[in-house]
Amino acid sequence: MTEVDLDELMENLAQCRRCGICRNAVYEDKGFDGVCPVWKNSAGFETSFMRGRIQVALALLEGRLEKTAENAESLYTCTLCGNCTSICAAEFDPAKCLESVRQVLREIPNEVRDTLAKKILENNNPYVEENRTRRYWVREVGFDIPSTGEVLYFTGCTAGLKLPETAKATAKVLKAAGVNFAVLEEEPCCGSVMLRTGMVDEAKRNAEKALEMIAKSGAKTIVVTCAGCLKTFREDYIERFGFDMPKVLHMIEYLKPLIESGKLKLKKSDEIQQITWHDPCHLGRALGVYEEPREILKAIPGVELVEMETNREAAMCCGSGGGLRSYDQEQAKKIAADRMHDAEEIHADILATACPFCEHNLKDGAIRIDSSIRVVDILDLIAEQLE
Amino acid sequence: MVDKKVITELSEIVGEEYISTKQDVLLAYSSSASMASDPIIPGAVVRPTNAEQVSRIIQVAAKYDIPVTPRSGGSSLQEEVIPKLDGLVVELMRLDEIELHKELRSVTVGAGVTYGVLEKFLKEHDVFLPVYPESALVCTVAGNVAVNGAGPGSSKFGCTGELVLGVEVVLPDGQIITTGSEANPYAPGPYQRYAFGPDITGLFIGSLGGFGIITKVSMKVFKRHMFYDYNTFGFETHEQAERFMVDIKQNDINGVFTSLYEGPVLELFMDMIGEELGIPKYEWPFRTVSMTIGRVREDMMKSDAELAKKLCEKNGGHVIGISELPYSEWTGRLWFFVRACYIHGWHWRTLYHHQTPTNAHRSVEEIRDVMEKYGFLGHTAGFASGHSSFNAYPHLYFDPQDPEDEQKIRDAHKELAKTLFKTGAVPFKLAPYWADAIEGMDSYMAFLELVKKTIDSRGIMNPRVLGGL
Repeated sequence: MTEVDLDELMENLAQCRRCGICRNAVYEDKGFDGVCPVWKNSAGFETSFMRGRIQVALALLEGRLEKTAENAESLYTCTLCGNCTSICAAEFDPAKCLESVRQVLREIPNEVRDTLAKKILENNNPYVEENRTRRYWVREVGFDIPSTGEVLYFTGCTAGLKLPETAKATAKVLKAAGVNFAVLEEEPCCGSVMLRTGMVDEAKRNAEKALEMIAKSGAKTIVVTCAGCLKTFREDYIERFGFDMPKVLHMIEYLKPLIESGKLKLKKSDEIQQITWHDPCHLGRALGVYEEPREILKAIPGVELVEMETNREAAMCCGSGGGLRSYDQEQAKKIAADRMHDAEEIHADILATACPFCEHNLKDGAIRIDSSIRVVDILDLIAEQLE
Repeated sequence: MVDKKVITELSEIVGEEYISTKQDVLLAYSSSASMASDPIIPGAVVRPTNAEQVSRIIQVAAKYDIPVTPRSGGSSLQEEVIPKLDGLVVELMRLDEIELHKELRSVTVGAGVTYGVLEKFLKEHDVFLPVYPESALVCTVAGNVAVNGAGPGSSKFGCTGELVLGVEVVLPDGQIITTGSEANPYAPGPYQRYAFGPDITGLFIGSLGGFGIITKVSMKVFKRHMFYDYNTFGFETHEQAERFMVDIKQNDINGVFTSLYEGPVLELFMDMIGEELGIPKYEWPFRTVSMTIGRVREDMMKSDAELAKKLCEKNGGHVIGISELPYSEWTGRLWFFVRACYIHGWHWRTLYHHQTPTNAHRSVEEIRDVMEKYGFLGHTAGFASGHSSFNAYPHLYFDPQDPEDEQKIRDAHKELAKTLFKTGAVPFKLAPYWADAIEGMDSYMAFLELVKKTIDSRGIMNPRVLGGL
């Protein structure tokens, strides 16, 4: 199902009665210390949080506002983190609606969005022309990884091309757990960013290609280290595109029973470290995976898990989602810096996460505030603690 | 459109980042949480960061005769912050300082501080600002002073206005004044509202920004209650329930929140949120009083709770004993009402007003009459809101995608304001909804007009409120 039912969308948008709870609600009972990361870290006009965005969306859809890139700007300065959905008192999902609005209003020019989609369709990734380079990390793990097998590690564009250490760490951990796994020869993009920015037809074309390659690999289980890939495969490929997908798990879901059963043994950390967990929006709010990573971190001997003020359903976003990092890098980094402040407040030594977008952006946020907190993917941590 | 020259002057005050004339931004400020309201596009929006900036902005607006609409949380429901066409919106959310005066049992907050933010801060100091509007997570304290709202806590502590010790206001000529004890520059902080003669603070409470822009408010705070009793009381006539409400006050029972529900209205609420809040199913009687008693000492709480039961029976009622309803109302006071207001899909218009407790049934009758006449869904419920008043909050539901339905509600709403007025009800403030309803108040309105013209001779301050004086 790739077409948006416009009547249903308008009915959903009408659920917003402009109460404004999606701006900066501070409500300890539900864990909220603010809601919208963009409002908090921008000039803060009404259009910087969901109430205003919905008013703009309605006006554009109803023709009360001219469909120009400038007028539609607020539709794209949202990370789609879904914190507004978590606190919304009405029965609708504002973030999901905004994603649909982007799809319906895709006629409005947006160079960043179009360039991203074009690159993915042409190169199978949004970053480089030579997509085969995304498998170069395999050469450095010290053992062969086949391209077919029952367990497929889908690396994702960002881990493959920008943060290969996470990919290498994942391979090391899987091997240590005795798992035979494969990595595609020339893995395509999952298409998450296309979906989030409203390029659904292009995303479907890309997804068909990805599905074919996955099918050829013989995978019965796909493991991922990217929260965006997870949501896209587990939700969008099945619900939107109607694909018959193998079982898809994030590595933290896959590893938890292996650690609990003792198949994967973790050694004691050299010194006691305070680690905080940043919930990636696609993993937490979108798919409800909150406890598995925490259980894994607690299972590392010598690690003390400390929580940031906002966590789980009310966790503040890292700032990179929904295409914001591409659309307004400066804004995305400001939000990341703010999230790093949260970690600083609780004196964490390490901030761990399970999404390369979060990791990449939060690292920039740490630089911005001169934070000495180590930002790391949980797989890197696990790999370091292998016995 | 606001002239470019004006925009330049305003930019110099707040910085380019904090002024906007973008079409999408202006559209977003053309409405608020008020439903069935016509949006009106302003000419510019500014977001100052302190009273001095607000003062300079007002001076520019006065120089060019530009109407100004102050706005903070944007949660008001009766068109209080709908701007004038091409006017200037002064959005105050960046005024976010909080200063606690613990020894004086007071707190001073900037106009951008919401109740949610303040509640978290005060909790750390074991005190609370005990009246919470139903939109507390969005609404600012200063905004609520400007509308003189009420909500959970009002049954004991009255309307928000009762808690105000003083305000900092930017007047229409740009002057900044502080009222109450803080008018004295040597005062250690806000400790007495009634200082230096007339209650100038009171002039700004419920003024809706018609006399100036409130940039800070100083409020009384109280030690947090440690001991609570939650109970529900059933009655078969409205007289019984209303007499009980009066007896509660007469006997100094500390009902911090005492709600009165019609049976079918409570059924409606419970159908919507009862299960979610864990409130047991029950065949609610003709009238239910749901009461939270709060005290700082246990003996006082227990004594109040016992007496409440006796007074219920004395008035012919029975103790229902379901505590989950008042518990949810009070402990979930930042959430319960907002959830109840938005969980359903309807849009609604409201017409908040005060009655006497013994006249509460008149509000119920009037809304029922207008519902029958116009044929729409709606309800009213309410709560004790002070010394001898009862706050009713009628909701008139409509489908926003059906223009005829919406018009019907607008017409019914207009009529209801008139009929409620004639029952002796009073609105909290003179928001646009009430402008056509009042009658027989010519001298009062003439005096109000004189005050308005004296303070705001150019008529630039939020001209749509106070009956459009």
